[in-house]
Amino acid sequence: MTHSPAPVPAHADQDHILDTLPGDLMIWVLIVSELLVFGAGLLAFLGMRIMDPIAFAHDQDSLNRVAGAVNTIILISSGYLAARAVHSAQHMRKWLAGSMVLGVAFLIVKWMEYADKARHGIGIESSDFFTFYYLLTGFHAMHVLAGLVIFALMMRWPNPRNLEGGVMFWHMVDLVWVLLFPIIYLVR
Amino acid sequence: MENVTLNKAFVVLLALSIGTAVLTDIRPQAGTIFVVVVLLLAGLKARIILTEYLGLRAAPEFRRGFSAFLIAFLLAALGLFLLA
Repeated sequence: MTHSPAPVPAHADQDHILDTLPGDLMIWVLIVSELLVFGAGLLAFLGMRIMDPIAFAHDQDSLNRVAGAVNTIILISSGYLAARAVHSAQHMRKWLAGSMVLGVAFLIVKWMEYADKARHGIGIESSDFFTFYYLLTGFHAMHVLAGLVIFALMMRWPNPRNLEGGVMFWHMVDLVWVLLFPIIYLVR
Repeated sequence: MENVTLNKAFVVLLALSIGTAVLTDIRPQAGTIFVVVVLLLAGLKARIILTEYLGLRAAPEFRRGFSAFLIAFLLAALGLFLLA
């Protein structure tokens, strides 16, 4: 008894739409998940603000907007260096090291902001505004830290596919910050 | 060529970020117009990161999808701001 091969769909030779996505599909699943989580958090923050916009504006005035703006420039510069690492196999480590230095600088600025708040007795339970501030910026800072660990691993064991995925993770962290910064620090 | 695109994207991102900082400095009292402009600048920055850094220029269908998400998110944010 002979088995005839399974019929091939007529469109099998065409590229699937998912094939157009750069990088691994799973990194895009992660990016979409993170955008949804941070997006929901930011909208919840703005929803809470409706209850007491004056208190939110008062608390927001104690944030260091210059530090936030500096961190935006640090992070987009770090993203640029990481993007260059993907396109330069020869100097990958150099670009990635630069990106990591700026990532560490971001965390130092963030740490200085937290330390300043602590000096003034401001913590996560001080108000609704600061609960959201610490949760959202803290969760983001944890992602920056995770990105630095991923970069360190890629410096130790370089691999083009992993490098692309790691750098895409870093761009996602960058993307979240450019949406988080104006909503937490500036919208009032 | 890719490096040229990355360089251009970086310069535009830098300019938009500096623009946001300058706007914050010259208009500390904020207000609706300020918020609209700041959210617009954030949306532009996010779109550049998606298109050039994350490479969605090569996937126009997905770029449109992410742009739609961004627009919906920013409009929701503006709506919640205006409700307060």
